[in-house]
Amino acid sequence: MKLRRARAGTEHETIVALIDVVLFLLIFFMLIGRMDATAPFMVFPATSLSGQDLPAGGETVAIAPDGRLALNGTEMDAGALSAALAAAVARDPAVVVRINAHRDAELRHTLALTGVLDDLGVKDIVLVVTPKEP
Amino acid sequence: MELRRRPRGQRLISMVPMIDVMLILLVFFMVTSSYLDLDMVPMLERQDDTAPAPAATAATAGPLFVRLGPGGALRVGGRDLDAAGFGGLLAGRLAADPGLQVLILPSGHAPTQALVSVMDLAARAGVQRLRIVRLKEAP
Repeated sequence: MKLRRARAGTEHETIVALIDVVLFLLIFFMLIGRMDATAPFMVFPATSLSGQDLPAGGETVAIAPDGRLALNGTEMDAGALSAALAAAVARDPAVVVRINAHRDAELRHTLALTGVLDDLGVKDIVLVVTPKEP
Repeated sequence: MELRRRPRGQRLISMVPMIDVMLILLVFFMVTSSYLDLDMVPMLERQDDTAPAPAATAATAGPLFVRLGPGGALRVGGRDLDAAGFGGLLAGRLAADPGLQVLILPSGHAPTQALVSVMDLAARAGVQRLRIVRLKEAP
């Protein structure tokens, strides 16, 4: 039996369908995702059914279950965090600070941070929650 | 002089670079975005000093103190309460005093979820005046 190599065709497979799918996925992920600064550790916010819309912008402080802190995605200790937040308040006195605390983080961490922010003169502090179980 | 239209070439613009860029953007957005549905609960809203003070509501009784234990257990007036019991208590107190103030005194070792759950119950019951009492450590 003699096998013959198939002749290379001159027609190219269309890539229009591939482009369509990739473009669709791109737009989908752009629309449903949030481009917030993520924490360097895993944070699952508390669940609340009475939450309001999360304001955009501002400074985001993340609190890990073990009390580690991060500002806008950068982990730092409490002293550095206070200094950075004081600088943020000096730049914009009406800055909104979002506390993204893990649901299991002890309140001595969360409320201590609220007290620091209160002492700094922050006018608007919000706690990030989620309406559904993550 | 006779002008002739050039015959169309068979070359097509290559779309490979465009697909590369789109794929890179796709992977970028997939990796860097977060997909949790996020809301917020206000913790502090400092009023403007020049703003008029809110109208005082007729409070017929004192504030309701709620203790939050280290494990997240609710304790009101020396009684341990579950979520349903606390909701019923709030409903009864609010019926008698719509301007009821609720003061939450949480343990520092209670999880954040416990405090948010209590605030959630209070908000759903219709409590308008809610405060969290924070004890500062002695110097």
